[in-house]
Amino acid sequence: MKRRLLALVLGMVVLLPSITFANGAQEEGDDKPVVGLIMKSLANEFFMAMDEGARAYAEEDGSFKLITMGMNSETDFDTQVNAVDSLITQGVDLIVLAPADSAGMVAPVKRAIDAGVTVINFDVTLDKGALKAAGLPEEFLFVGPDNTDGAEMVGNYLGEAIGEGGKVIIIEGNPGADNAKQRKNGFMKSIETHGMELLASNTAHWEAEEANTLMTNLLTKHPDVQGVMCANDSMALGVVRALEAAGRGDVQVVGFDNIPAVKDLILNDKMLATVHMDGTEMAILAFNAGFEIIDGSRENLGWVQSPLILADKDFFK
Amino acid sequence: MNNNNTVKEIDSNSGMNHSARMRSLLNIFLKEVGIGIVLIVLVIAFSLGAPRFFTLINVGNIFTQISINTVIAVGMTFVILLGGIDLSVGSVLALCSIVAGKILINPSLPFGLAILLAVLLSVGCGMIIGFLNGIICETWKIHSFIVTLGMLNIARGMALQISHSKTIFNFPKVFNQIGTTTYLGVFPAIFIIAMMLVILGSVILRKTVFGRMIFAIGNNEESVRLSGHNVKFYKIMAYTICGGAVGIATIMYMMRMSIASPILGVGFELNAIAAVVIGGTSMSGGKGSLVGTFLGASIMGVLNNGLLLIGMGDFARQIITGVIIILAVVLDTYRTKFSAALNS
Repeated sequence: MKRRLLALVLGMVVLLPSITFANGAQEEGDDKPVVGLIMKSLANEFFMAMDEGARAYAEEDGSFKLITMGMNSETDFDTQVNAVDSLITQGVDLIVLAPADSAGMVAPVKRAIDAGVTVINFDVTLDKGALKAAGLPEEFLFVGPDNTDGAEMVGNYLGEAIGEGGKVIIIEGNPGADNAKQRKNGFMKSIETHGMELLASNTAHWEAEEANTLMTNLLTKHPDVQGVMCANDSMALGVVRALEAAGRGDVQVVGFDNIPAVKDLILNDKMLATVHMDGTEMAILAFNAGFEIIDGSRENLGWVQSPLILADKDFFK
Repeated sequence: MNNNNTVKEIDSNSGMNHSARMRSLLNIFLKEVGIGIVLIVLVIAFSLGAPRFFTLINVGNIFTQISINTVIAVGMTFVILLGGIDLSVGSVLALCSIVAGKILINPSLPFGLAILLAVLLSVGCGMIIGFLNGIICETWKIHSFIVTLGMLNIARGMALQISHSKTIFNFPKVFNQIGTTTYLGVFPAIFIIAMMLVILGSVILRKTVFGRMIFAIGNNEESVRLSGHNVKFYKIMAYTICGGAVGIATIMYMMRMSIASPILGVGFELNAIAAVVIGGTSMSGGKGSLVGTFLGASIMGVLNNGLLLIGMGDFARQIITGVIIILAVVLDTYRTKFSAALNS
């Protein structure tokens, strides 16, 4: 806690827009392996829940020490680079990293590996081209969900609800973000499978209010829309509000992530479904893969898929 | 300010001749409506390009979409008129939303009382932070850019800390109904609130001693100080007003979206500053109007809506919005030159 406070104060003093939070401590004279968990923005509920879940797991498990670090923004990769370097300096055994920048984080990962630290890439894949350029295998082990699959799954669910030839709109995430691209690709696959008609596909940069404005305007342009596929649940919230304000309860909405706020919307038929992703479970899979690599029972190659579950009305009952 | 004085002087001159009257009319037109021409051109262009643009429903939608930015920009105008800036408004919006949201979902309060308290606390929280911004700037004579940049981090960090990064939802139904009520089919409740604030702010700026002092300080702070006025008081008040406006905008946001979240409002400061500057308020202070600010916010809202309706892609929309922001301000420099030439 003291560390966290210190980091907070320091960050404010130098007016960095991004503040690193470091939790957990490392005591000397103990031979338990030390694991550094580097996440993206702790302002994102998903990572906040992961932070809490992973620390609870480490405490209960007791076989390793955990240091967790989060950034203050999703794209703040400078701070993430510093976090990796400081973990290398502290001599941790394993770094579990959700890269804020797929290509940019490869260099610090290489530094960590050269320093003898095992690195597990989770949540978002490192860029294959950058891995190759750094002399690392392109198939560097990745622990995480198949975003394309998840989006296709929930897209298909929407397709079944509105039927063959249904007219849909996609609300995209940040252009350039890998998971945004993958989720859009998944939606596109389901659109093809169910012969749906894509009226428009625009970005609302993951944000609720922007999605609200965008959906309101798209409703004016395409009043015949029957379904909306949102690349995350925050945007789905904004879309549901826009449809409510326009009195369009007939339009079906699906999202991604399963944030707490969508539960009631789904139970009250304001939203059709979302994709449930468990951050803690993903982190634990990553820890275990890391320990297996350290004791030699696994190669640092391939893809450990973390499960995605379709969360519809039945899921919450 | 110069133009304004000239207009007032001419108005009070009962023996004014015809050409002076024409000049003053043209002056008022250029001053208040200049940027309105850009808005009218955009509206006509989009009406021709997109059949559903100029419909009651769509105009009502645009009104809703510009309301929050208008209210923040009204507060921002007070600060910019003094030659200052407030970068913290987006983060303060997030902090106010958490404070108000916690009250709204408190089950032990009857919802009427909860809503009243939420409004008061949100506005109060905004005003306190605005007051702090002002007093820090004035006590240590630090430029508001750096003070409010610091406050941007402080308010965001506090919002995250208090909320534990969690979105607050499930507000009373009545609360959200206000946010989606529309009068006469085209005037959303939150737009009417925004308009009332624009009018109230205009009256304060134009008709009260306080407003005149804001312009005077923006024009020449030193001479106001030397004439014995308490410059510090007026400046701190302007930041407090800005914070209070953010508090009101927060309630409007929560009514519209029915969520409160520590990550909302990112980048709102830039939209508000853009609206103020497009509206003809000078970044160096002393010149500007709230009618202009409203027109500036309208231009941004119309662009966002209209470009989408004519089928423009995301990236093209962003580029065109940027180009028009710059163009509007460039045009404004010609307007200023022209009206100066007219007066000489």
